[in-house]
Amino acid sequence: MNAPATLAERIRGGDRRALARAITAVENETGEAASIRAALAAHLGRAQVTGITGPPGAGKSTLVNALVKVLVGYGRRVAVIAVDPSSPVSGGAVLGDRVRMSEMQGHDAVFIRSLAARGHLGGLSRTTAQVIDVLDAAGFDDVLVETVGAGQSEVEVAKVAAHRLVVCPPGLGDDVQAIKAGILEIADAFVVNKADLPDAARTERELRAMLALRSGTAADAQPPVLMTVATNGEGVAALADWLIARGRQAPPRAAGGPRPASDAAALLERLIARDAFARHLGLELLEAGEGRAAVRMRVGPEHVNFWGSCHGGAIFSLADTALGLACNSYGSVAALIDSHMVFSVAVKAGELLTARAEEVSRTRKLGVYRMEVRREDAVLVASLTGTVYRTGKPLPGEA
Amino acid sequence: MAEQRPPKVIVTKIGFDGHDRGSRVVAAYLRDAGMEVVYTPPWQEIAAVVKLATEEDADVIGVSSLATDHRLVPKLMAALRSAGLEDVRVIVGGIVPPKDERLLLEAGVARVFHPGGALGDIADAVRALTHERRR
Amino acid sequence: MNKPINRPVAQTELEQAERRWQAAFEASPGAARRAVNRSGFEVKPLYTPQDWPGERYLETLGFPGEYPHTRGIYPSMHRGRSWTQRQLIGLGVPEDYNARLKALLAHGASAVSLIPCNSVFRGYDADEVPEELLGTCGTVVNTVDDMARALADIPIDRISCALNDPSPFTLLALVLAVAKRRGIAWTKISGTSNQSDCISHFVANHMFFRLALPGARRVLVDHIAFCNAQVPGWNPLSVVGQHMQQAGATPAEAMAFTLASAIQYAEDCQARGMDPDSFLPRFTFFFDISVSFFEEIAKFRAGRRLWAKIARERFGAKDPKAWRFKFHGQTSGVDLTRQQPLNNIARVAVQAMAGIFGGLQSLHTDSYDEVLSVPTAEAARIAVATQNVLREEAQLTEVIDPLGGSYYLESLTDQMQAHIESIIARIDAAGGMYQAVEQGLVQRMIGDSAFAFQKRVERGEQTIVGVNAYQTEEDPDAYSVLEYPQRERIAAQLARLAEYKAQRLNAPVASALDALARAAQGSANVMASVVAAAEAGATHGEICACLRRELGFGQPLAIV
Repeated sequence: MNAPATLAERIRGGDRRALARAITAVENETGEAASIRAALAAHLGRAQVTGITGPPGAGKSTLVNALVKVLVGYGRRVAVIAVDPSSPVSGGAVLGDRVRMSEMQGHDAVFIRSLAARGHLGGLSRTTAQVIDVLDAAGFDDVLVETVGAGQSEVEVAKVAAHRLVVCPPGLGDDVQAIKAGILEIADAFVVNKADLPDAARTERELRAMLALRSGTAADAQPPVLMTVATNGEGVAALADWLIARGRQAPPRAAGGPRPASDAAALLERLIARDAFARHLGLELLEAGEGRAAVRMRVGPEHVNFWGSCHGGAIFSLADTALGLACNSYGSVAALIDSHMVFSVAVKAGELLTARAEEVSRTRKLGVYRMEVRREDAVLVASLTGTVYRTGKPLPGEA
Repeated sequence: MAEQRPPKVIVTKIGFDGHDRGSRVVAAYLRDAGMEVVYTPPWQEIAAVVKLATEEDADVIGVSSLATDHRLVPKLMAALRSAGLEDVRVIVGGIVPPKDERLLLEAGVARVFHPGGALGDIADAVRALTHERRR
Repeated sequence: MNKPINRPVAQTELEQAERRWQAAFEASPGAARRAVNRSGFEVKPLYTPQDWPGERYLETLGFPGEYPHTRGIYPSMHRGRSWTQRQLIGLGVPEDYNARLKALLAHGASAVSLIPCNSVFRGYDADEVPEELLGTCGTVVNTVDDMARALADIPIDRISCALNDPSPFTLLALVLAVAKRRGIAWTKISGTSNQSDCISHFVANHMFFRLALPGARRVLVDHIAFCNAQVPGWNPLSVVGQHMQQAGATPAEAMAFTLASAIQYAEDCQARGMDPDSFLPRFTFFFDISVSFFEEIAKFRAGRRLWAKIARERFGAKDPKAWRFKFHGQTSGVDLTRQQPLNNIARVAVQAMAGIFGGLQSLHTDSYDEVLSVPTAEAARIAVATQNVLREEAQLTEVIDPLGGSYYLESLTDQMQAHIESIIARIDAAGGMYQAVEQGLVQRMIGDSAFAFQKRVERGEQTIVGVNAYQTEEDPDAYSVLEYPQRERIAAQLARLAEYKAQRLNAPVASALDALARAAQGSANVMASVVAAAEAGATHGEICACLRRELGFGQPLAIV
């Protein structure tokens, strides 16, 4: 194997074999992986990374093929990562996605790599982000990451892709549970494929209705719902144009993932990572910004009380964590001094709860926040109102 | 770490034959043996298989041939060499008359498998060839 | 034993005798062994009137030629007229095919069947593909001249012709062009479009898959309408259960998927405004016959009874001809082995018998060397001789449905029917065959069955003589293998193709292909335009290329 510095030159010079081998090293974290990544680190930031997820039957691969065709037609160089699940029994995998993109997979401007999830949950493999970095450094304009959305939340995609498409087949309206709350959170756009089928219009309406149910987001800030017929290309150019326009507005990507939308968001990611109790409860940060946060918890057996329902303290802690992050997002310490919690609905083990914190008011010394805790089906299970005292002191560890 | 990663195998058909029951059974078997299999439908162009092997950094290419498509395999071997992929091992499975089997081996094919053989033999061969390639 | 346990106290003599036998049987060696057939049904050691009391003979069996046709679709079946010996052949260039065809006809084959070269299956002319693949597995036929040479001296107005010819049915178009040249009216042409079942190609035998499914679906109905009107002696549809079974479906599944496909095609014809009494009589079927002897016979009898019911009740057909389940059987090549290939002669004989007892209308017996390569002339002769032996020495044509009334066979037929109906219900619930295959439902079922069978073989639960039992040392060079067509003959064929293209008038060809494209874009009958193009001199590859552009060559949906 050549010295990594030369390898970087070869990769950026278009040597596909060297690129593929570098991906192998990085995917499998071999001995050379670290030096390869180091050699490529200086060349990141060009690629626009788009995650494409959705339930089986949505025609994802056909859509990706059509989208790639348009992008290549615009003169862009496109890399595709197709992630397939591994067998939990044998660890092996059949990687069949790439050949469903039959038309574009032979094109010179296209590079396709299949990855097996290898037991990693959430739709990606453990090292997908690093593989994206290699493709970014190689000079591709677009990196599309296609995953199998088996109905569980594809939060992983949010971590590696700045642009997230969720593809739905028509008829999904009958079973909106197939789109779990987590996917609603991460999607930047919904694509209703096979839009020529009769159910498509209804699916569009049901999706928009579900999005509107989410409180705290203005109607015009809702993710768009785009209609496509991937088999004949209808709507695909519009999708590509939307994506490219969005890409122009986003900051260039950094190693490992999209830069958070703001400094506040980056701060909150750091804070929750340091919160031992949040870790202990298994809390996960979904969204963050100035004065707002969304945190998620799966109710496990350790959260359950003596009569089999989720312990109120656990629900309180979830809401309180969202509160704590939201009010500390300005960079100085704020502490809860008074709160009032109302529990509306009992929660069973296994449920997925999301707490959203919104700022009601804020003065120099005080802040009032309202938190709503909802189940996956958007039913409100508890609400918390809290008053915080803003000390003005800097957060420890954040100089 | 590198040795623990599973073999990356392409299972494909070149030429005109469309009978893919055998190749699907082999692909499923190799998956159940813990391998990562890139499975293609029939009628792949040779250039497409070369591109596939390049991008996927495949260890082994398994060509399934039930009609006389194996007659194209020497062209595949030549294309792989031109693309700098001479280290990728090629095995052929299917209906191959004895005289043609000799010609294939001479063209650089590592093994030829016949119908009725044990799938375990194919898996063992893939593992051995992968190990060879990665050394 | 499957009898109710709460019976009136007085036990009949029959039951007592049964108990005695049961006790004696269980004391015998090997009594504990369970037997399961390929469709997954448990097979008992003995069947008695308890299993099939034989009541309601007219309703459940009936007489041959009368609804529900269980015992046969015609009153006299093979006793009156033997099954058609229709051997599939195809190799090399048209002259080679013609010679082989004449030899087989002399040896007793009574009909024509043509397998074209794989390049033709893929929709190409000989000058568009690698030379080493030409003529190795079928005959190269691209032009009306080629077809004329292939059928030289064959009386196509008197002999029936089966064409392995998927959508858009260019081979039929070439045959019709040849007929016109010879002054033979199309009303005299008889035969079958053997590969018209586009659903089975999408699912199972991808070899024949050409046009993308929506396009193929429409062209099929055009084809049926065209033939019903212009070539009334032709069977435009052959629903091919063989593909599903060869891909790994169990016999019951294969029959179920076949009937479900036929239902789907019939619905499409009805939607086009066609009358079931006019199109159903020209629906035919094509099945694999495996070596699981009794199961196959039961499968065919169940299928025949079910189809009569479906035609009469589901589609409301009134003409008794519309209820007839006409089928061709081919001995299953999947059961043949490469090891000890002469054993295959025995296998084929058993498979053929099952088909004959099952009441088929025409039969193809495989050559023993089918697995090694394209069959040699000697092996092809033995295959035809096998049929002759069965008919004339074993006298299998003398009695109609000889196994009818057997306690085993009738209860197995009933079991098969119930299972087939439940699978059809599943397909109906999924919205019909087209929906079911787009969802991958059928492919998954077939894949599971294929994998399960493979596992049984590997574990030794299913014996295959010479492969996992009774093995011998192999001598790979022991059996003569057909040589590939000589380079000179292929070169000559290519030269003839070039000459043909150079000599013909191009303007009518261009105009006809243009008309074909417009027909595909609109709603005019595509088949009529295909035939017109063939008559104008367009080649097979040119016709396919035109429709490839307009309707798309899809990829089959494979599930691993």
